Amino acid sequence: MDQRLIRNFCIVAHIDHGKSTLADRILQITGAIHERDMRAQVLDSMDLERERGITIKAQAVRVFYTARDGVTYQLNLIDTPGHVDFSYEVSRSLAAAEGALLVVDASQGIEAQTLANTYLAVEAGLEVVPVVNKIDLAQADPDLHARALAELIGEDPDRVLRISAKTGLGVEDVLEAIVERVPPPRGDREAPPRALIFDSVYDQYRGVVAFVRVMEGVFREGDRLIAMQTGLGVTAEEIGVMGPAMTRTRELAAGETGYLITGLKDLGQLRVGDTLTAAARRAAEPLPGYREVKPMVFCGLFPVDSEDYPDLRDSLERLSLNDASLVWEPEVSQALGFGFRCGFLGLLHMDIVRERLEREYDLELLATTPNVEYRVTTTSGEVLGVRSPAELPNPSRIETIEEPFVRCSILVPRDGVGAVMGLCQDRRGVFVTMEPIEERQQIVYDLPLAEIVLDFYDQLKSRTRGYASLDYDLNGYREGPLVKLDILLAGDPVDALSLILHRDVAYPRAKIIVERLQKVIPRQFFEVAIQAAIGSKIIARETVKAKRKDVLAKCYGGDITRKRKLLERQKEGKKRMKQVGSIEVPQEAFLSVLEIGDGKGSR
Amino acid sequence: MSAPTRTRHLYLHLPFCAARCGYCAFVVEVGSLARRDDYLAALLGELERERPLLGALDTVYLGGGTPTLMGAERLTVLLERIRPLLAPGAEVSVEANPETVEPALLAVLRGAGVTRLSLGVQSFQPHLLGSLDRAAGPARSREAFALAREAGFASVSVDLLFGVPGQTPDDLEDDIAELLALGPDHVSWYELELKPGSALARREGVALDEEFAADAYERVVASLEGGGYRWYETANFARPGHECRHSLAYWQSRDYVGLGVGAVSTVAGRRWRNAPGLDGYLRAAGAGVEPPRTHERLDPATRRRERWMLSLRLDRPLQLAEVGPPDHPEAIERLRALGLVDEGPAGLVALSRRGRFLQNAVLHELMEYA
Repeated sequence: MDQRLIRNFCIVAHIDHGKSTLADRILQITGAIHERDMRAQVLDSMDLERERGITIKAQAVRVFYTARDGVTYQLNLIDTPGHVDFSYEVSRSLAAAEGALLVVDASQGIEAQTLANTYLAVEAGLEVVPVVNKIDLAQADPDLHARALAELIGEDPDRVLRISAKTGLGVEDVLEAIVERVPPPRGDREAPPRALIFDSVYDQYRGVVAFVRVMEGVFREGDRLIAMQTGLGVTAEEIGVMGPAMTRTRELAAGETGYLITGLKDLGQLRVGDTLTAAARRAAEPLPGYREVKPMVFCGLFPVDSEDYPDLRDSLERLSLNDASLVWEPEVSQALGFGFRCGFLGLLHMDIVRERLEREYDLELLATTPNVEYRVTTTSGEVLGVRSPAELPNPSRIETIEEPFVRCSILVPRDGVGAVMGLCQDRRGVFVTMEPIEERQQIVYDLPLAEIVLDFYDQLKSRTRGYASLDYDLNGYREGPLVKLDILLAGDPVDALSLILHRDVAYPRAKIIVERLQKVIPRQFFEVAIQAAIGSKIIARETVKAKRKDVLAKCYGGDITRKRKLLERQKEGKKRMKQVGSIEVPQEAFLSVLEIGDGKGSR
Repeated sequence: MSAPTRTRHLYLHLPFCAARCGYCAFVVEVGSLARRDDYLAALLGELERERPLLGALDTVYLGGGTPTLMGAERLTVLLERIRPLLAPGAEVSVEANPETVEPALLAVLRGAGVTRLSLGVQSFQPHLLGSLDRAAGPARSREAFALAREAGFASVSVDLLFGVPGQTPDDLEDDIAELLALGPDHVSWYELELKPGSALARREGVALDEEFAADAYERVVASLEGGGYRWYETANFARPGHECRHSLAYWQSRDYVGLGVGAVSTVAGRRWRNAPGLDGYLRAAGAGVEPPRTHERLDPATRRRERWMLSLRLDRPLQLAEVGPPDHPEAIERLRALGLVDEGPAGLVALSRRGRFLQNAVLHELMEYA
């Protein structure tokens, strides 16, 4: 198709601001799907994501729209993930488009992540089409938010579209605006071919399906291709577009988006951001912006029942087929036995993986406290990446420890500024700047990622009654006085409970942790000391007193079966405990270190 | 059938109560007093039906409900029917609530061969009796006890509870003092279980403080031992020779037959439980058929685990030859090291004093209930 009739666009929106509803409505209006096939939110194909109201995997859908000028245009809707963990993926989706719909809820206004993604879109040179959605809601204030959006991107407030994706009101105007305002692609079809991989998924029958935007040249089935970053050679077995069903087109030309099947089985071989070119006519340079995706957050995952270990391995393998950013390797814990140390893009990614393992693969899992990757320089000058407290070398061998920092942008109503700054200060934050956006303040802090990984987000929400929103981006490593805190039960360190933290917060947190453990660990036959130690120095201690009484009451009247059943139920309860040395520890003990609360131990 | 296979222990359930107490989760019938005649007839019918299982009876226990609410005449009929089945020196126990105890009734019971009276006192503190919905005040309990003594029963037992919501350490001390002053032959002193279905659990709905409950239990045991009672079972205390032989039969895993609504029998590896409803029980009796029951076959492993569960309650050492091996024999050494099992000859397992307080946890170390 003539490139002048093509429009490639994405939708930037906060969770629940209506991105998926708008996408569905566009598919419906353009006849890509019929009313009777309409399943709410076609683009969110995974149940779990639908439940959480977020979309992780971007896809590209091609629709045809006959505009008011009577001309039929090809519109390619490129979906973008909506969470802070996936900002790199968002940037690649944006790079595949010429325009972005910026969708904001008419009652809530812009949120921190939307702001961050909007900046990404503007920086990428995209035409931003501002849209205020949900104007049908009673509490909507379209004028206010339209003015704010216009100001944000330097646009005329009258050009901000006001719609209700739910009722369909104004959606045609959105399509018209895409046609009018978003520039068509201008790739040279005669040049050596280059295509950007902006997403890939794994299909159990077809193998790896890459979603690509062709920048220059033409790709045809049967072509021998090269992934320029990894150097991998592959053959284009099938080429087509999503309409939204897979439709074979046999070729894709500059300006178009579509899918490409190579027969590869490993998602990691075709990486998001990589550039495909033809072996026969190789492009000189890959497209810019490629980054190797690195996990940011790590935790140990252990089966509650050690017999499930092989199942956990299988499940991780299957999940990895569709999630190249999930990394894992076997880990052995003295306390928890055999498991895996897993790396995730962020906390949400971690939660999703855990939930999918438990729900879809029916595994009962124990997750250790998440941590970041530390950079340790030893006295011999060696630099180590430390992804688990257990990997930390002996302090005498450590020259410096550095930890990852993030630049954290928080949007909050004015009356929440104090609470947010208090939290950031508590969490070792370094203030950067603050400026007003709409009726709110944007507060920017540099924070150790390790602090975000704890219960930062929960605390932020609870201290601002849910009004604050958060975005962050990796901002380099900084050296700090970091120490390893060991937790000892009855004198023995429990590896799965160790954590790395800043010396200044070690005392108060150690106190909170041992207090919490004291509450969750049931009484045993003997008194159990719970100690927190840095090296050989004990800095906090609590005691679980010995059990004094454990008898079954009344056992007469001959109803012996009932008592036996009671023992069986008690046994069931004991199965959910982990035997750590001679001590029975409930699962929640391994999670309790996660919640620091307000730092005063009141939670 | 040879004599040893016949059951020597008989339980009779008399479910009628004037009101349901707040803590009660037993099979009781309230407001059905008009059906007592029918119930007596049905019970006697079931007795006839199960008679072939019974040998000369060592123990008979009339429990409830409130057995004394049956009235002197019906109890006489029942007890006279049982009398010919008794072995010489048999123990015949009847439970009674203090408010139902009258000299005439006691005389009838004594005359019909009852040897043992168990009084459901529960507490001597008026405010606790109130929260338990018990009708008799402390004065009435003391009077009932005196009447039982005068009537000349061989053993008089008193039932008490600790861990009642609202109970203070002083309340407990006072109950202990009252009890010791009264001086019954036998005491059952249970921790109150807040059963999910009971009115009290709905009213209070809170778990009791673990430390207070442990203190109370230790105080009860120490005081009664100091007062000359033997702590012969988890919650039971007796002066020498006054142990409840009927309860001991349960704890020693003997066979027993239970008659009446909700009653359980265990005979030769089979257990059955009559359904709790009065209607079904009476209907079956009218039709001359077996009452509605649920049945359970007890395989040897289950029996062995039950024997452990029950035997550990007693203050005598377990004989492995008698109860069978534990599922986790290696745990015995560990429990010895923890001071929960006493040192002793092979083939015997005796809980230490502390082990008895932790008997249930010790049981889980030794046996596998799944």
